[in-house]
Amino acid sequence: MESLSDTLWDVVISGTGLQQSLLALALSRSGKKILHIDPNEFYGGPEAAFSIQEADAWVARVSASSDGGIFKSASFARPEEAITGLSASRGYSLALAPQFIHARSALLSQLVSSRAYRQVEFLAVGSFYIFKPSQDAGQKPSLTRIPSTREEVFSTTAVSAKAKRSLMKFLKFVLDYENSPHLETWQPFAEAPLVDLLQSSFKMDTELQTYIVTLTLSLDGKIRTKDGLAVIRRHLSSMGVYGPGFAAIYPKWGGLSEIAQVSCRAGAVGGAVYMLGTGIEETEIVTGEGEGEGEIKLRLTSGDTVKTRKLVRVDERPSGRVGISRVTAVIGSPLKSLFEATMEGAPRPAVSVIAFPAGSISTVAGKASEYPVYLSAHSSETGECPVGQSVVYLTTLTNPNAQEILNNALVGFISATSDAEPSPVLYRLQYEQLAGSDKSHIEGSVFNLPAPSASLSFDDTTLESVREAWAMVMGDDAGGAEYMVFEDREGAAEEDDGYE
Amino acid sequence: MADSNLPKPSSSVKLVLLGEAAVGKSSLVLRFVNNDFQENKEPTIGAAFLTQKCNLPTRTIKFEIWDTAGQERFASLAPMYYRNAQAALVVYDLTKPTSLIKAKHWVAELQRQASPGIVIALVGNKLDLTSDGAGDAADGSGEDGGEDSGDARKISTEEAKGYAEEEGLLFFETSAKTGYNVTEVFTAIANAIPETSLKTARGPGASHAAGRTEEQRVNLNGPRDAEAKDSCAC
Ligand SMILES: Nc1nc2c(ncn2[C@@H]2O[C@H](COP(=O)(O)OP(=O)(O)OP(=O)(O)O)[C@@H](O)[C@H]2O)c(=O)[nH]1
Ligand SMILES: [Mg+2]
Repeated sequence: MESLSDTLWDVVISGTGLQQSLLALALSRSGKKILHIDPNEFYGGPEAAFSIQEADAWVARVSASSDGGIFKSASFARPEEAITGLSASRGYSLALAPQFIHARSALLSQLVSSRAYRQVEFLAVGSFYIFKPSQDAGQKPSLTRIPSTREEVFSTTAVSAKAKRSLMKFLKFVLDYENSPHLETWQPFAEAPLVDLLQSSFKMDTELQTYIVTLTLSLDGKIRTKDGLAVIRRHLSSMGVYGPGFAAIYPKWGGLSEIAQVSCRAGAVGGAVYMLGTGIEETEIVTGEGEGEGEIKLRLTSGDTVKTRKLVRVDERPSGRVGISRVTAVIGSPLKSLFEATMEGAPRPAVSVIAFPAGSISTVAGKASEYPVYLSAHSSETGECPVGQSVVYLTTLTNPNAQEILNNALVGFISATSDAEPSPVLYRLQYEQLAGSDKSHIEGSVFNLPAPSASLSFDDTTLESVREAWAMVMGDDAGGAEYMVFEDREGAAEEDDGYE
Repeated sequence: MADSNLPKPSSSVKLVLLGEAAVGKSSLVLRFVNNDFQENKEPTIGAAFLTQKCNLPTRTIKFEIWDTAGQERFASLAPMYYRNAQAALVVYDLTKPTSLIKAKHWVAELQRQASPGIVIALVGNKLDLTSDGAGDAADGSGEDGGEDSGDARKISTEEAKGYAEEEGLLFFETSAKTGYNVTEVFTAIANAIPETSLKTARGPGASHAAGRTEEQRVNLNGPRDAEAKDSCAC
């Protein structure tokens, strides 16, 4: 067998995060010589999913290195209840990237056309709720389900008749917002916050405005009208695409981590060579005229030196933009009421989303939350925890109070969902994820992918830079090739396609 | 019977094959999936993915099989295949002692790293090269059956079986060449998967069953490209 250093690789892909893995999938039938490496001992990079033990180890690594990439301030806690409540470490799969995917996302069409979807199990994302803090000391906080289809608006008891009318009017408006006469209504507000439009054109009260803004999952709660309408339309038009009653889906076993792994598997089936625990120590571009010009020499941490025509990596340098803070908690309760099908014939959801509007949580010192907090609750059906437990992921924009706000939101959530005794927290992981560059950039033969997006639902712009990287690696061969469109490999089709 | 027309509940099971190079992993899969054998099967590169159904009396199991390359150079591939796998087939060549050592390494790694509750089968392949031939249950096939007697066996049934029992593994000796015991391995695995760990049913047959059990898995091949489903030429 050819040794690593004797081969002139067409591309070395560094890191097995979602983007690099999708690139490996895209190149899996290209015949290119691909070396895919990752300095970590696990797949998925910033989109990985961890057992408890792996999460602990990850925290230690992020804390130990001065340069933890885009992660920092990581810590974990096992409250006392955990001693009896927590199951075997490997029974958990805690996702660093618990993003769900809207049914209309191009990621799903690419997974289908590339045939990779056959190896992923998708689950429905169910209802969206708004958290309402307790009004007086004796009362528990509560969760109100957001009606997001016409049927639900009709049947909901959460809003007044007047509010229903303006909601209906708004839903109709959004579905056709790009056409006249609706266009003229919102265009003056295009760059203004969405709430301005809701207030002046739809006469919505603050509560109703909050419902709508929540549906946009805007991290700062200040989404612009232009963007907000696009996101809500996407949500509405995603409803029912893959079945009744849900607009988004979630890959079982740890979200985007699973998509990354499935993509790497496709890469391996296509002949790419995989090396975990191997990073790049030194990069040297071969300059000068003639043969080998523009090739890259890489010294790997394994001690090997390899030559490649192209290098694709992620630009992990932090940017000045605000990042996110996250708390991931294993709860010792199935939280059943959050995972009920809301419609006849709908699949039982495995994920639901709770929004804590800005101001609904406060610190001990009495400071109200500046940004919304979003909580994704995952049932054990996601494979992320054993039966009888659930995992919740809380996210907010980073500010000095973020961790305290997140932990208080967790307490509020538990209080709102527990009957008598509050459900125990069995494990808690918290960290910050910095915002990196949001654009890809090319330096000679090196393609730098942007840092992973912090948005709560999968961000389709991620796919664009992967495609650009693919085009660069393919070079002249890109012309005739269809992107991410493959036949099933022999024997891999569904049995109902013929075999019996 | 009218009953047999009713679709049985169906579940998919992710299975991974591990073992030293050339022990016959791909050949076992080829025998199971296509009932075929190739004298000179080329080494697997990276991995291969295949599916095959296994009909049990009360349910249908659809195996999603990951056949890995024994030659894998950097021990970096297997982890992504055994992650979330419900079953593993660890194969050795019973004419090659080193292959059992490698198999034991795999078993240890699976027990350390794979999902808790994974069903592991230890499979000694190439039984046709031993004097028990296609395995007419000949007893006392000792370690020292010499080459001259047409018995190339280097690993006794007792040794491997004893080890399998200690570790709680299913155990079979097979021949991918003659087909001896191959289906039995997969059927035994299908039977050993705990009902509770079976994934939600899917596929056209599954929708009937879903009337009773709640369907959770979302089928991407549904409304979006339904026509692709019936268009297979085989
Ligand atoms: N006599 C005999 N030969 C077999 C048997 N199974 C496989 N072989 C032969 O052994 C060789 C290797 O078989 P493969 O199925 O390719 O082995 P593998 O474990 O998939 O090898 P890698 O893909 O390299 O890991 C081939 O030449 C097969 O024909 C068997 O049961 N009996
Ligand atoms: Mg093989």
